Amino acid sequence: MNLLMSRDDLVRWLQLLLQERILLAPMRVQGLVLFQPVSKVEDITFDFANTTLPPKVWFLPPTETLFSVRSCDGHTELVPATVEQQAVIFGVRPCDAKGITLMDSPFLEEPGDALYRERRAKTTLIGLSCRQAQPECFCTSVGSAPNDPSNVDILLTEIEDGYVVQVVTEQGKALLPQGLAEAGAAPPAPPEPQAVPTEGIVPAMQMLFNQPYWERLAERCLHCNVCAYVCPTCYCFDVRDYPNKGNIERVRSWESCQSPGFTRIAGGYNPRGTKGGRLRQRFYHKLLYFPGQFQEIACVGCGRCVKACPVNIDIREIISDLQQLGAKSG
Amino acid sequence: MDSELIQQIRNQARDLLESGAVKGIIGYERASDGLTARPFFAYEPDAVERLIFDETCTHNLVKYLVDKKGERMAILAKPCDSRALNLLINEEQIKRDQVFIIGVYCPGVVETSWNQKGQTQQPRCQTCQLLKPVVYDFLAGQEPARQPEAEVYSDIEEIESMPTAERRAFWLEHLGRCIRCYACRQVCPGCYCPECFAEQLDPAWVGIRIAPEENELWQTIRTLHLAGRCIGCNECERACPVDIPLSRLNRKLEKQVAQLFEFRAGLSPDEQPPFATFNKEERLGSEE
Repeated sequence: MNLLMSRDDLVRWLQLLLQERILLAPMRVQGLVLFQPVSKVEDITFDFANTTLPPKVWFLPPTETLFSVRSCDGHTELVPATVEQQAVIFGVRPCDAKGITLMDSPFLEEPGDALYRERRAKTTLIGLSCRQAQPECFCTSVGSAPNDPSNVDILLTEIEDGYVVQVVTEQGKALLPQGLAEAGAAPPAPPEPQAVPTEGIVPAMQMLFNQPYWERLAERCLHCNVCAYVCPTCYCFDVRDYPNKGNIERVRSWESCQSPGFTRIAGGYNPRGTKGGRLRQRFYHKLLYFPGQFQEIACVGCGRCVKACPVNIDIREIISDLQQLGAKSG
Repeated sequence: MDSELIQQIRNQARDLLESGAVKGIIGYERASDGLTARPFFAYEPDAVERLIFDETCTHNLVKYLVDKKGERMAILAKPCDSRALNLLINEEQIKRDQVFIIGVYCPGVVETSWNQKGQTQQPRCQTCQLLKPVVYDFLAGQEPARQPEAEVYSDIEEIESMPTAERRAFWLEHLGRCIRCYACRQVCPGCYCPECFAEQLDPAWVGIRIAPEENELWQTIRTLHLAGRCIGCNECERACPVDIPLSRLNRKLEKQVAQLFEFRAGLSPDEQPPFATFNKEERLGSEE
């Protein structure tokens, strides 16, 4: 059953939510749109294509402390980090919500990641359907849609005089205000993003590991971490201990397979020492290893990497190249 | 697009590949948006037909030569990019006789991002003092009829005039957004250390925290390593995914080095950068 919410209702509801919990929402910061904790509803931007960084910044923050070790009177104590507060993320696009569901597989399967699990359990997702497809996005080709409700708790779709509200989970239902009217008509038809056919990409990948294609493509790649850091499904990290006067803090921060030092091991050897090998890894993880382990391609078609890459390494073009190479090799 | 200029570049590139004078050409081709440019490596003579040059060719391609040591390559260089060639020749990262430089007269480039092309020239182009590349083997195009505006550093003076606390807040806000993706470093022709200080473990100069204090330390050291070496291509700022105004850091040091040493990086392959030399007579401080 779909409900109806006016723009004023939405503002009042968000106002209420931010008093009870942490509310993250898209905000304009310089020329960017970032999910940030809201202190005033007026700071939220409702009119945006998508955020510069995906909502993974909440579940796997750029930096977080995993635990501390404290020494006191010859006694050593391990203090795990905890997540105290309930949170709501407003304005999650359906593609990004799918990104969170994909990240659940590696982070929640046993042995799960305690901090991720806790944040996930304490966070409610309010999705916002896309009114316009962007030139870089292709969600419908990778199992989502501009109005896909399946990975959020509540989905809002903007209409002329407010929003159509789809209640997806019990967690979402519990959050909604009482007394919303039923929506008379169905929500408007979603926009149509461009198609990037992905058929046969997984079996094609099995044949293409030694293709010179990778070294050639990697010539252009700068091997920065932009694509991985803006990606809703890239989740690699580095861990380091920070000693401080007998206490230790264990910290994890984003890191990516594109970094030259990512796979360097003790003694200095780097088993993935070439640029081509590093670039290949990113696409093999997304298009072969992840689907092999979790049955889905690890790309949600948000197009952030397409937009943000300083040298136009374009995943849509690469998928198409690989399909052609696969057809030749097969 | 200036089709005559492009034809000149393609002809030269084809000659170089067909004669075997170089192994490959580093130039530009049309990006996947059909609107802007991206770096392109041509190895087969027919691939030169993909080469383009227009106001969206903002990338400095010189960085790519560092990965091509020992191979004879040709590279397309705008006047600004050519300063990076001198920098790397001077610092013995590339050998002059290994590189064939296809210089281009440049009418100036615009701000670009994927699927977006600015309408006006980049600020750095408006004050660019170079009408042609400072080093080249072949020069394509025609000298543009333009009078460069004088470099005034008004963007830097604006920050210099801020009270200390305000200036600190300005930088903490911008650097607080840094996600340590290292795009600024990876794209920079002056950043070529096989192991960057940011990744050294012993000593650990800067940690892995993506947080304001460590971001600030990272950017401060990165900038200082480019003092007297930054050639002003502004690739760092273009590549930054969170729009940190990195040119203001680099240009501050450029201004300082110009005042103290009357030196601008990359104008000559022979002139030693100030921080690679030591004169006993030298005195510190701009007022002395």
